[in-house]
Amino acid sequence: MKKEMFRMERITYKEHEITKLVDFNLHIFAGEIMGMIPINSFGLSAFLSLLQTNLPLYDGYVYYQENLVNSWKGAGTNQNRITVIESKSCLVERMTVSDNVFVLRKGFRQQMIRKSVLRKQLQPFLDDIGVEIVADAYVERLTTFERMVVELLKGIVAGHKLIVLKDIESLITGEELLKFYEIIRYYAKKGYAFLYICSHLEDIMQICSRVAVLSSGRIEKVLQAHEMTADNLAVLTEEYDTLIRGYLEHKKEKKLDESSVCKIHSVFKDSGKALDFWVHAGECLVVQCMDNQLYDAMLSVDINGLLTRESYLEIDEIKSTLYKNKDVAVIKEFPTKTMLFSDLNYTSNLCFNLDRRMKGVWIGNKIRKSIQKEYSNRLDDGVFDTAVEDLTEKQKYQLVYERILLQKPKVVFCIQPFRGADLAHRMYIWTLLEQFLEKGIGVVVLTINLADSLAIADRLVCIDKSRSVQEYTREEFGEIPVLAPWKHLY
Amino acid sequence: MKPIKYISHRFFFVGICVFVLFLQQTIYQIILWASGATSPLPLLWLICAFVVLCSYGWFRVLLPYRKAEKMMQRFLDGYELMQPDLEKTFLTPSSEKELYRIHEMLHSPEVYDLNKRQAQYLALQNQINPHFLYNTLESIRGEALIEGLDSVADMTEALATFFRYTISKVENLVSVEEELENCRTYFRIQKYRFGERLQLHITYDEEEWEQIRHYRMPKLTLQPILENSIIHGTELKIGTGNLHIQFECTEKRLLIRISDDGIGMDEETLWKLNRKLRKDSSQVLHKRPGEKGGIALVNVNNRIHLIFGEEYGMHVYSIQGKGTDVEISIPVIVSDREVSDRGVLS
Repeated sequence: MKKEMFRMERITYKEHEITKLVDFNLHIFAGEIMGMIPINSFGLSAFLSLLQTNLPLYDGYVYYQENLVNSWKGAGTNQNRITVIESKSCLVERMTVSDNVFVLRKGFRQQMIRKSVLRKQLQPFLDDIGVEIVADAYVERLTTFERMVVELLKGIVAGHKLIVLKDIESLITGEELLKFYEIIRYYAKKGYAFLYICSHLEDIMQICSRVAVLSSGRIEKVLQAHEMTADNLAVLTEEYDTLIRGYLEHKKEKKLDESSVCKIHSVFKDSGKALDFWVHAGECLVVQCMDNQLYDAMLSVDINGLLTRESYLEIDEIKSTLYKNKDVAVIKEFPTKTMLFSDLNYTSNLCFNLDRRMKGVWIGNKIRKSIQKEYSNRLDDGVFDTAVEDLTEKQKYQLVYERILLQKPKVVFCIQPFRGADLAHRMYIWTLLEQFLEKGIGVVVLTINLADSLAIADRLVCIDKSRSVQEYTREEFGEIPVLAPWKHLY
Repeated sequence: MKPIKYISHRFFFVGICVFVLFLQQTIYQIILWASGATSPLPLLWLICAFVVLCSYGWFRVLLPYRKAEKMMQRFLDGYELMQPDLEKTFLTPSSEKELYRIHEMLHSPEVYDLNKRQAQYLALQNQINPHFLYNTLESIRGEALIEGLDSVADMTEALATFFRYTISKVENLVSVEEELENCRTYFRIQKYRFGERLQLHITYDEEEWEQIRHYRMPKLTLQPILENSIIHGTELKIGTGNLHIQFECTEKRLLIRISDDGIGMDEETLWKLNRKLRKDSSQVLHKRPGEKGGIALVNVNNRIHLIFGEEYGMHVYSIQGKGTDVEISIPVIVSDREVSDRGVLS
């Protein structure tokens, strides 16, 4: 007999009078690895909140381990014992791995903490999954993969029977992901349930036995194991597939302007190693970092901070520094959160990078007003009168990318541009990147996961742990030894 | 000045006035105490009274009032009315009686009976004298066998078995095995129409089946859904249509999933259908003009709600072009005596 780990029975949930989840139905059995594909991310954050916390419901029932924990009639206990592993760490920094796993758990009552005992207690867990992590290491020094393993162990030790994994494929390299899948399978066999929220069908198909399709705050369908065929899943992303197929066809006919070339000589701060790569005008180069430390460095600082001052940019044989160069633009990870300034209005946000081109942009309103006038036809109605934090996610992406277009750089570095975006937004980002390429801007996409980036790429450069470089042209994409969508089209 | 329309708003207005008065008195007392004109005792008393009044107003008036408001709003949206005895949030004694009366009406055996009769009607469409029907079908079967028309005889037998189950068996709850057998009979009849274009797959865990087959479930639960899947799903599809009936059970719940790989439905239709399933049982009595479709599903869902409670029921999943799944969730029971509200079964 199966054991039901978690159930949401026809949940309707409102936040500030906005219905976030409507008739939401989902159940997960013990020992199951269930997938969830968000077609659009509406309601996803509300769902994650409701998983962990029993917030007041408008309708429906929530069961955890077959016990009613929340209902529209009133909530039971406040927190459910569920772990969520995502890009944001839940570990406490400046504490060691063993402290995070054992000491911070509920019910730990020892007054004296004996490190040696904690080390001994942690070791069997690490041996079981074949991972080596120093028990006394401070968590801020761990790699992302290690951090995820520690979070998982923390949940297991605390008796959390359901572990939610959100977009983990964009956090770690392919090799690490396969290792993490093994760990998940190991714990699934032991009766733990997993919910893997992921936008990429290829990743879901590798590990999940069922997959729920989330759209507009409700589960549209739950595909069973026998229904999880490529054909059935393709219908979920039909629009996106059509867009990419059309683009790939168009790409075959398109000739690159090889007269203009931008060479980048980058010397990394941490290793001192130099990496040379070049990108033509209107070309998209995807740089896949298979080294998590390099990726972590990219997360914590922007591209200028990552490189030393010996790095330089050479456009049409004219050398210039990468540092504060008006011909270089960077689109950070999660740009709608990291690149917009809520205390500035829309126009000021739009013109933010313009002072490198026009010195007088911040003196008086004349230039900004004329830009506003020029852009009012291109942008959505009323965006100039809307506070930046009140813009829709799509409008925020538009603002970030239009700002870069206004800057007119020669090359744009995009750090994981598709990360965290749902299907509808990924399609939109895709069209925005296309705009860059059409305007003759070289685009360098820095990524860990190739899922969305490969299709837009003209060339791929893979940097492994030793910082050695492997280059693939578009014709060679079919030979890349990773599972990526649309690979069969190359 | 615009008059305050609702009495609740007037109460709120009075409350605000009292609050302001208290605040004014407190400030006045603070000023008096600061200037040394009075001892701090009246001020302390005033602050204490103020805190007690605010706490009482918040916990005993405002929160219950909001709860009562939420309950009424849900009811107006078509959701189930909260059990009055669980929520002591009545505005007046007569409103308490009123709520009890509505609750009783919605959970009366009459409402269940209406749903049951509607189910039988849906299955038959026409009321025919059962004995006359069986005798006629037996006669047709006999004639067909004499003439060597085995397929006609088989079809007639299936039809007679189907009618016997729907008309003659008057129990409210039947075993899963009986209900599944009726589905097989119904499918046998449909096979004569669709031939190899229609396939039925029944899946369950072999080890669990010995238990599952004895579990009790409302009669005529599966067949109307199967019929819906054929008519609205696979019949309209080009090529072979596959119907799946899957049984799964946990410690407390029996999960039945009837799915088809037919044409599915668009997001809006799916949303409307699930909305209908969320509506209160009484909604079956008030079908709006122009409203069509989903009666069978609503009926099955209502009967599950009435017998087992609101925590159980049915949910529909669908993607256009990729089929529809109907998921039924009922409690695990092996005897009719385990039903908490046995009144509805009488």
